Amino acid sequence: MRVANMLPDIQYQMQQSQQALATATERVSTGLRVNQLSDDPAASANMVRSLAYSANVDQYTSNVSSVLPQMQTADSAISSIVTSLNTAVTLGTEGANGTNSTQDRQETATQVQSILSEVIAQANSSFSGAYVFGGSESTAPPFVAASTTYTTSQGSTANPLATTTALTAGSATTISDATTGETMTYQAAAGDTIATLQAAIASAVSAGTLSAGTSATINANGQLSVGTNSDAAGIVVNSNDAVLGTMTAAAGTEVANAYAYVGNSGVNTVQVGDSMNVATNVPGNQLFTSGPNVIGSLSNLITALQTGSTTQIGAATEAVTSALNYLGQQRVPLDSTISQLNSEESYLGQEKVTLTTQQTALVGINLADAATNLSQAQLDNSAVLAAAAKVMPQTLLDYLK
Amino acid sequence: MSLSTSLSIAVQSLNAASGSLQATNNNIANANTPGYTREVPILEELAPVNNGTFSAGSGVELKGYQSVRDELLQTQIQQETQAQNGANAQLASLQQIQPTFTTSTQDIGTQMSALFSSISSLSTNPSSSTSRQAVLTAGQNLATAFNTASNTLTSQQTGLNTQVSQDVGQINQLSKQIAALNPQIAELTGNGQDGGTLQDQQDQLVLKLSALTSVSVTKGNDGETLTTGNGTPLVVGSQSFSLQTTTGSDGMTHVLDQNGTDITKSLTSGDLGGTIQTRDTTIPGLLNQLDTLANQFGTAMNAAQAMGYDQNGNAGQNLFAIPTAVAGSAASIKMAITDPTLIAASSDGTAGSNGNLANLSAVQTTALPTGQTPGNAYASLVYQVGSLTSNANAESTATTASLAQLKDQLSSTSGVSIDEESANLITYQQAYEAAARVVTTIQSMFSVTMSMGTAAAE
Repeated sequence: MRVANMLPDIQYQMQQSQQALATATERVSTGLRVNQLSDDPAASANMVRSLAYSANVDQYTSNVSSVLPQMQTADSAISSIVTSLNTAVTLGTEGANGTNSTQDRQETATQVQSILSEVIAQANSSFSGAYVFGGSESTAPPFVAASTTYTTSQGSTANPLATTTALTAGSATTISDATTGETMTYQAAAGDTIATLQAAIASAVSAGTLSAGTSATINANGQLSVGTNSDAAGIVVNSNDAVLGTMTAAAGTEVANAYAYVGNSGVNTVQVGDSMNVATNVPGNQLFTSGPNVIGSLSNLITALQTGSTTQIGAATEAVTSALNYLGQQRVPLDSTISQLNSEESYLGQEKVTLTTQQTALVGINLADAATNLSQAQLDNSAVLAAAAKVMPQTLLDYLK
Repeated sequence: MSLSTSLSIAVQSLNAASGSLQATNNNIANANTPGYTREVPILEELAPVNNGTFSAGSGVELKGYQSVRDELLQTQIQQETQAQNGANAQLASLQQIQPTFTTSTQDIGTQMSALFSSISSLSTNPSSSTSRQAVLTAGQNLATAFNTASNTLTSQQTGLNTQVSQDVGQINQLSKQIAALNPQIAELTGNGQDGGTLQDQQDQLVLKLSALTSVSVTKGNDGETLTTGNGTPLVVGSQSFSLQTTTGSDGMTHVLDQNGTDITKSLTSGDLGGTIQTRDTTIPGLLNQLDTLANQFGTAMNAAQAMGYDQNGNAGQNLFAIPTAVAGSAASIKMAITDPTLIAASSDGTAGSNGNLANLSAVQTTALPTGQTPGNAYASLVYQVGSLTSNANAESTATTASLAQLKDQLSSTSGVSIDEESANLITYQQAYEAAARVVTTIQSMFSVTMSMGTAAAE
């Protein structure tokens, strides 16, 4: 073949070898084999999926870290309640001893009362502003001292509420009963009046949600008054209906040692793995006011110590003991979730390492290979340049002198 | 044979040598001129002279110069140039689009992950206003990522649209120049001469035209006929036909032939072809996928939001504002709410419930109407951008290599070799010297003849 001009060929080869050198340098300096999508489209797409998954793993890890202290707060509150209940059982057993004087029993009753206050304080524990035992109703303390009568702020003698007064559609009124431990939630529909609310209360009474005798009436001041029998443990009423206004306990109607649960049974779950969701709270009503009823049994023990016989004190102490056992059972799921979270945390740590390895395999370089490629590319480039330097200045004219 | 015949042969030989030297000179002068085709002198023996008893050669004649061409290689180079420029036009755009979809802190995939992370984080403390604000911010960032990606694609499209008008302008100018050369070349070739320099110029112009659009060349008596696309004439004889541009109903520049027929779709290679291909097929395809993803993702998130209640206990409102039509969704998607309490985390209406966040999180793992999860839909978009770029890159590299090969071959035929010309220089110089020596010899022979019978001869 006739060779007219080697220059274009040499230029092309130099360009090729410089490009190879640039690629090799880029790979070594970035540590990445895929610096642009076009370097490996399939690996790039897999990288998108892998990164999305590792973002999830990061978030699961962070969720575990957020949820753990919250659950530990709940667990330590329960531990402290267990300690309090043990003390109450000891005190009750002492109180049941016939040799104690009435004076002694009154003093013991006062001690149990402070235990109850302590238990309530623990049951109203919060973690970063959220009450851990309030179910999903976690913005306010879940255990509230109960009263026999609540009245609305709206209504006056001049401008009284009436059974025909229309309620705000969509508004909610809740009555939490300390005796039954349950809560009636009434949501006003369009066209509902105070009479509808009264009917709802009546049917809640017959259903057993509210204790017998609970009713709502318009009092002499023209306000709506929600009340219960004087011997009941009382209620707590809340409403967000502007027609009724704020519900407040009537003065002097507070029931001693009685607390109503105003939270709900809502359980929040948090995702801590691709297919692992954990319940992060145990509602307070499930722990403290249902079954053998921690709070109720303490109230009863106080009453028995104040007014009851040794037999009654003994029975009340028995009830506290069984409440203690019940609480022990109820905290098992919580404890097992905590240990689950701890092991999930270390699993997620490993998973993260696996993902990082996978991502390096997808788009990263093997440094040894890349370095070898780089020196190879450097060598090639020098060879091309050296060859060009030798060939380019040579013409026949050099020899024709 | 007379001395004067010999002298005339010597003179012709001087002429031939100096004429050949001129070809060599011109070749050396144009050694680096792009598109120059080396010329060789055509030397012919003259008819022998018969004096009745024998015939003797009567010298050499320089018949002219011939350019050493290879028409087939020229055509192949033109075609390869069309393919190369088409690929380069696509590659240039795609390389600018590519970074938008490359994993970074701003790309859609990362922002989508960040949104789901913020939702998951909110589930650990659903009443936290900081966490709620984080969800809104992440949502806004995702919407911005969609907007940015869409803007990158449309601004590329706009840039390419401008390129179309520019390319058409250049094509028209080149067509005129080519047409102007046709009659001149035809006149030369009609006389049986070589097109020479004019042909070189024309070939060079056709090559420039090939860089812009698909061109097919046919040669006739009146020069080259050039057509583009599906046979739209650009040059016929001495006449050139201008392409027109007009703005179509889609807002894009369309190319029309001299009769006003839209030929945009038939232009497939060269810079214009590559530009049109990217502007009308590649980018709209990507935009459509992006819009579909933005629209379906927004709709799914809104549906999940509607299943729950906000912090005030009201049913969830739309999270994203998206247009009803899919087209333009990525460009216009934005947050529909700015109040963090409006995030519908609650499933029961209480502020502390996180039940509905599971529905929002589930969008990440649930297939959209396209059949893919949002993450996978984005991953396939990334794959497509990468593979389109990679294909354009591969084609560009391949055509560059094959073009280099073809140019090598052409240079082997038509290129000027300085070494060869140096050797020719010596050859012709020696030929000239020899012929001159003949003249001197004849001169002295004449002198001898002239002085016969004079004193000097005695």
